[in-house]
Amino acid sequence: MEKVEKKYSAFMNFLRTPTPTLIGIYIVMFILFSLASKNFLVIQNIKGIFNNFAVYGILSAGVTIVMIGGGFDLSIGSTAGLAGIVSAVLLMKNIEVPTPVVFLIAIVIGCTVGLINGIIITKVGINPIITTLGMLAIIRGVCYFWADLNPRIYNVFVQNLGRIYIGNVFPITTIYIIVAFVILTLVLKFTRFGRDLFTIGGNENLARLAGIHVDRIKIISYVISGFFCSIAGLLLISQLGSGRPEYGTGAELEVLTIIVLGGVVVGGGKGNFLGVFIALIIIQTISNGMVLLAVPVFMRMVVKGALLVLVIAIDALRSRRNLQLY
Amino acid sequence: MAEIKAAEVSQKKKSVLNNTAILFLILVAMFGIFSYIGRPWFFSRLNIIPMINNLSFIGIVAAVLTMVMISGEIDFSVGGNIGLTACLTAVLLERGLPGWLVVIIALAAGAAMGAFNGMLVTVIGVNSIMATIGTMFIWRGIGYTLTNGESMLAMNPVIDFIGRGFIFKVIPFPIVLLVIIFVLTYVIMNHSKWGRRIYAIGANPLASYLSGINVKRVKFIGFLLCGITASLGGLILTSLSAVGMPQHGQGLELVIVSSIILGGTVLGGGKGQILGTLAGVLILSILYNFLTIMNVYYFYIQIVQGSVLIIVVSTYEIGQAMKRRRM
Repeated sequence: MEKVEKKYSAFMNFLRTPTPTLIGIYIVMFILFSLASKNFLVIQNIKGIFNNFAVYGILSAGVTIVMIGGGFDLSIGSTAGLAGIVSAVLLMKNIEVPTPVVFLIAIVIGCTVGLINGIIITKVGINPIITTLGMLAIIRGVCYFWADLNPRIYNVFVQNLGRIYIGNVFPITTIYIIVAFVILTLVLKFTRFGRDLFTIGGNENLARLAGIHVDRIKIISYVISGFFCSIAGLLLISQLGSGRPEYGTGAELEVLTIIVLGGVVVGGGKGNFLGVFIALIIIQTISNGMVLLAVPVFMRMVVKGALLVLVIAIDALRSRRNLQLY
Repeated sequence: MAEIKAAEVSQKKKSVLNNTAILFLILVAMFGIFSYIGRPWFFSRLNIIPMINNLSFIGIVAAVLTMVMISGEIDFSVGGNIGLTACLTAVLLERGLPGWLVVIIALAAGAAMGAFNGMLVTVIGVNSIMATIGTMFIWRGIGYTLTNGESMLAMNPVIDFIGRGFIFKVIPFPIVLLVIIFVLTYVIMNHSKWGRRIYAIGANPLASYLSGINVKRVKFIGFLLCGITASLGGLILTSLSAVGMPQHGQGLELVIVSSIILGGTVLGGGKGQILGTLAGVLILSILYNFLTIMNVYYFYIQIVQGSVLIIVVSTYEIGQAMKRRRM
């Protein structure tokens, strides 16, 4: 009896998350785009949609972890750019560092940035948005050290990293994202770290009083975010075939929209990766649809900003239980 | 918690005046050192007047943003607002509208943008940081759309005067605007009922609400004024550069917010001084101007800007922690 009730309540819990609404929105949007443009429902285009969200998907994996813990990370775009351009420089013909070492260096860079973010935010106690906004500028500035090198990627292994299609249809990058999301979901569900993270996001003081090492868990979450930034940086240079200092600019806006649309509550404590994955597909489909419908480039920027504001407004309305007095 | 904050507010009067005085001393020292190291370029008419002009539009925006930040909110969209205003001005001038009308339309557009931010924050209840990051991209995107991504010439007697005019042939007009805005905000914050309400809201919104302050209205008016002054800043920048381009004001929020925090305003609100903001703006503008004069690359300056933001906030937070330990 109890078991049946438990299952039922889990299903109801799923219905209460924004995920079903997201699936509904996506189906409607899919039909609309298919009707509006004859180039939308073509296997080539669908392949493109899935391959194009590789970078944002990997980035949102890390930021989701940070945001569930009540934190925030605006420095992801710059960190990915830094990891990307440093690896691209190291892969240049006249330097030729072995590929595994390059990967290691990229990952160390990302994790170091995450560690710095985490230490400043937890040990010094600065607002995460201000910290990561500062880091965004600093790291983007560091990226420009290599601005005049203009490295190209000739390494076949790195090229293939973000470009292969399995069975000529299914992009390998989507598999990375699914693997990352599944592993992180399991970590959140079944490890102490995951449960602690949700507790911290729900109520940090309570978590501290309950004996959770709040600072340590938070720092780890920023390091995880940094790790995924470096993976995203490698995918960036793999897909674009070169290293430029401006890669990854504005990624934070896109990723923020995806995550909040995916049902991760701003301020922490709630969120699941299924929602984030569907939001990822939705946002990428919107971008793709705007290209197919020939929306001007600059108008797309407006639409993306408006989408973020809309999504955050809905989030605010949803999480507001009582009438807000002030 | 509330009591502690209130106690700090009453105690603060003396100490913040001290902090502001220290900032001004630092400013004078910096100016002296920079004039010596950067001679003969730094302290010359050719550098000082553009520096003051540049500083004026940052200061105008910072003064009103200080009011918003003291009330516990923040507006990151000022940079986007400046970009949109610049583009709007250029487009309207190209259509052949008279200068005074363009100024009025631009300020009205700024008011509309501020009102939109205010509505999002007060009516819907969105976190102001998130809301204004979103609207920042919207404003800049509209700016790009208006001019199609190009920079357009914006020449008109009225617009030219706003940024490059002189009063009595000596005083640059932007400085006059800067002084007016700072005097107004200083009087409002230190000698009016409304200013006291803003401090009260920042310190404790619930207590302010319970004692009969219309919290939402005060916050809304703050955002509205912030929008208007940001577009005034956009007009000055358009006039200074004589072009309206959508990249105007990009990354400016970093400079403005760090100079406000350097001036002693606290992120959560409730504390802050208009004079401190003035000192912060002067210090950072002089620093960045000096770096430019010394031929430092822009991206190094960007690193400095980010570091300044983090260092300034860290200093405050570490100071607070030490104060708490002493208590």
